[in-house]
Amino acid sequence: MDKRNQRQAPVRPGKPGLIADYRLLPGIPDEMIDPSGNVRPGWTQLLAGFDELGPDGLNARFERADQYLRDAGVFYRKYDGAAGKERAWPLAHVPLIIDEADWTVITHGLVQRAELLERVVADIYGDNHLVARGVLPPELIARNPEFLRPVVGIKPSSGHYLHFCAFELGRGPDGGWWVLGDRTQAPSGAGFALENRVATTRALSDIYSKMHVHRLAGFFRDFRDALNGDARRNDGRVGILTPGQHNETYFEHAYIARYLGFMLLEGEDLVVEDGQVMVRTISGPKPVSVLWRRMDASFTDPLELRYDSRIGTPGMTEALRQGSISMVNAIGSGILETRALAAFMPQLSRALLGAPLELPTIATWWCGQDAERQHVLDDFDRMMIGPAFSTILQIEDREQTMLGAMLEAGPRETLRARLVAEGSAFVGQEPVTLSTAPVYVDGKLEPRPITLRVYAARTAKGWTIMPGGFARVGSSLDTAAIAMQRGGQAADVWVVSSKPVERVTLLPQNGEKLIRNSAGSLPSRAADNLIWLGRYAERCEATIRILRAYNARLAEVSNPEIPLLADTRTYLDSMNVDATEALPAGLVSAIESAVHSAGQIRDRFSPDGWLALTDLRKTSRNFAARVQPGDDATRAMTVLLRKLAGFSGLVHENMYRFAGWRFLEIGRRLERGIQIAGITSWLTRDKAPDGALDMLLEIGDSVMTHRRRYNVSAGTNSYIDLLVLDALNPRSVLFQIAELREQIERLPGGIEDGQLSATAKAVLELHTQLCVAEPEDMTSERFEELGAEIGRLAGLIADSYFV
Amino acid sequence: MLYDIRLELHYDYEGFVHGDRHLVRVAPASIPGVQRVIASSVVFDPKPDTETNFVDFFGNLVTTISYSGYHDRLDVRLTARVGVEDEAPQADLSPDLPGLQRELAAVWTLDANSPHHFLAASPRVALSRPITQYARASVDRTTSLRAAAMDLCLSIHRDFTYDEKATKVDTLPLDAFDLKRGVCQDFSHVMIAGLRGVGIPAAYVSGFLRTIPPKGKPRLEGADAMHAWVRVWCGQHDGWIEFDPTNAMLAGPDHITIGHGRDYTDISPIVGVLRTSHGGHDTKQSVDVIRVE
Repeated sequence: MDKRNQRQAPVRPGKPGLIADYRLLPGIPDEMIDPSGNVRPGWTQLLAGFDELGPDGLNARFERADQYLRDAGVFYRKYDGAAGKERAWPLAHVPLIIDEADWTVITHGLVQRAELLERVVADIYGDNHLVARGVLPPELIARNPEFLRPVVGIKPSSGHYLHFCAFELGRGPDGGWWVLGDRTQAPSGAGFALENRVATTRALSDIYSKMHVHRLAGFFRDFRDALNGDARRNDGRVGILTPGQHNETYFEHAYIARYLGFMLLEGEDLVVEDGQVMVRTISGPKPVSVLWRRMDASFTDPLELRYDSRIGTPGMTEALRQGSISMVNAIGSGILETRALAAFMPQLSRALLGAPLELPTIATWWCGQDAERQHVLDDFDRMMIGPAFSTILQIEDREQTMLGAMLEAGPRETLRARLVAEGSAFVGQEPVTLSTAPVYVDGKLEPRPITLRVYAARTAKGWTIMPGGFARVGSSLDTAAIAMQRGGQAADVWVVSSKPVERVTLLPQNGEKLIRNSAGSLPSRAADNLIWLGRYAERCEATIRILRAYNARLAEVSNPEIPLLADTRTYLDSMNVDATEALPAGLVSAIESAVHSAGQIRDRFSPDGWLALTDLRKTSRNFAARVQPGDDATRAMTVLLRKLAGFSGLVHENMYRFAGWRFLEIGRRLERGIQIAGITSWLTRDKAPDGALDMLLEIGDSVMTHRRRYNVSAGTNSYIDLLVLDALNPRSVLFQIAELREQIERLPGGIEDGQLSATAKAVLELHTQLCVAEPEDMTSERFEELGAEIGRLAGLIADSYFV
Repeated sequence: MLYDIRLELHYDYEGFVHGDRHLVRVAPASIPGVQRVIASSVVFDPKPDTETNFVDFFGNLVTTISYSGYHDRLDVRLTARVGVEDEAPQADLSPDLPGLQRELAAVWTLDANSPHHFLAASPRVALSRPITQYARASVDRTTSLRAAAMDLCLSIHRDFTYDEKATKVDTLPLDAFDLKRGVCQDFSHVMIAGLRGVGIPAAYVSGFLRTIPPKGKPRLEGADAMHAWVRVWCGQHDGWIEFDPTNAMLAGPDHITIGHGRDYTDISPIVGVLRTSHGGHDTKQSVDVIRVE
């Protein structure tokens, strides 16, 4: 990248408003302003739109985009220290506009590059002609931690190693695009590109509709159809294999799974039977034949690839050997990300394609070769020197990669000596310089360095390039400030045509066959999490109700030692809740558990439900710091109860009545039954203190109903009748059992040809017992037993559906 | 030399396990010029639900077994008849270390025998300065690669104490090096770490060693053991030569090879992943190597 363009070009004078102070940097091309100071085509319309809106209008629009991202719950995980935190998605509101002609160069270059990478990886894991012909040094592969020997010689069942790649591009000082890195392991960000698009067009809908911006949906549709086609050929389904909710881009995995209608799977959802990968579902194991892998390859199999993996599926490699599963991308493809490989791309292109690279790669010298090492030593000051086998991009790697000139005498000599002693461990690369593009800061546009991430997918039409992607924008003028982990932002990319573009949607078109997924394909782990989400939510509710009744009485009597209060504390203690705390840690942890269960199944319920639940957690954490026992706590419990009801309402009213909803409902009913039986048993025992029955009625939320139904003679029996045996009271135990019976009978295998499953029999028996019971036969001991019997139902469900 | 080999591995699990899958590498492979397998069979008890065989990257014979149901033990039984070549070691025509580096640079292949696979750190063999320095002394004391490897082999035998209690199956080479104690696996890992540290390709060999009872004492049933030693690439002409640091010798007609890899993890007799509510298991192992003729 010669610095040919050294002329500092001031923006043409007289430009008003937004770009009045927009200064180009010497020798650095800008995406919006050309070297002579003119606004580039495509940007004029955008700037005109911005000017029309004015600063206030623009701020309101950008706020609209942020609001959308918050409502949709778009997040990524930032690693700082041991536990990653969820961060709001950092949208840079100004889209990056690229002219169609410029884009065509990128498209051609990347299609060529994807094809080249496919041939390279096929040779590395196949015949090794490249090594035998002297094009690739054997050391580069044999020493490479991404060279996975267990899959050498295994031909991918789809016939291809690569199906989905990403490329990081930067524009050099000469104005051309350069490839800064190839992402073949498990490229992330395509889903974020979609969310960027949605958010940006919400803000700028009028401008967007006037410009001819290429749509993204067609790219996803074609890739979805390609994967579904592969899967159908093998009579299986498509899954997205995720490391789980603690991964930095888990949101995106869940998002794409929802968007494209694929199953979101973790390693433990899968089992290999007779060489076939099966997903454990509530109706038994079902074959999976395509996995879009979002975890690093070696983690997918703890038996053959990485012994310490806790997120893999034993036997995955065996399934690959049997040819029963297609991996997107093939296990082992990560080797293409190796930094040192960039040094060989020009030769590889000539050797395999007989043509030079259309898009150049950043100049790289691998120090495992004598002449190259000497070149790096000679030009030491101007080299970025870093680990040869790293798969981190140069611009993202502040820890391991350094500019020779920046080193002081001591470290400099150490590094030079290491280059000589163990050259094969190092590469030298020319430092990356990037073009700039505008970001909106305090009412003005300012230039910031950008890189472009572009996606390629293998579809029925061959390699297809997403017409867009996302641009990463630096937080300062330093090129190294690009990475989002360090405060960079992401912008939507608009590829603008001079003619109207095709509008695409993922909705089925006329004549396209409608495919319905069956209810039985719910993965067992998801069902298990749904049950626990229901149970934790209900446990929170029961705890909150008891705490509210407790604190209300505490506020009245102000003596915490009266028998009823002491007695309630003992009961709460058995639930691991310490009532002397105004907002007990036991309650907060039940709320955390509900959030945790929900977090594992983000693809299964609406963003609104998730927001309601995380809002409940936030409120409980706030309260924990400042609420006082008594009156204050009573009010706090009422607030929590309302928020919890908000969550339950959203889920109950919005969730499709599929198998997933059924398990959530079963969880709620199980827990409510157990809780009511438990507290009834405790408060109706012989030694229960004065006031116990009134409190029971209050906890059971049945005070008004009781007054209405038993206006003459109230007594223990009427309380029991209402809270346990009343089929119409949605809080009674009988009501829960009746609901459980209905849901359990509808589960796969619940009733088949008139035959009841073991669980269905057990719930029928319990239902019948309660239907014929009379209040006078019921005792405290019987209620306790009842709780245990409901608990046994939970065990039976787990044994039948989750093993 | 013709041997009958019997190996029995017994696993007693504390509780019932299920849904488990194992890779078993116990069957000796035929290796041209070294040994030839006349008959071999591996039997499992209880009978696995699936059983498949394949040859891994390094040419080792692997059996994959899986169980879907519950069981509380696993027995693996190998019986094999193997003929081992008894050839006197050839003259040392190996280069010195700089010569070896030149020869390595001329090897443009990645097949299973390529020395390039055995130069870098591997899952269980990290390279460390103390072990590298220890090996460097052997290189400095000698003039050929084979002499250097033998010097290192003898040094380990001299400086280390054989002690079954000092280390475990997952002890790292540097820990064994600091202790100067361990078993054949530790000695081999230390030797490999040292050789790779100075740039010499070295592999881990798993197999059996015939033990000869003291004069006048009868041979004890099952008293033999699985064994491990080291394979060193000594240049294009001499090729791979095997050294046994536990016994301070070249591997010879009493060494029967199962297979080799970069370290123990590539050729461990059995690795498995299983689900259990209880923790551990008891292992018992018995080996008989009986000379037939």
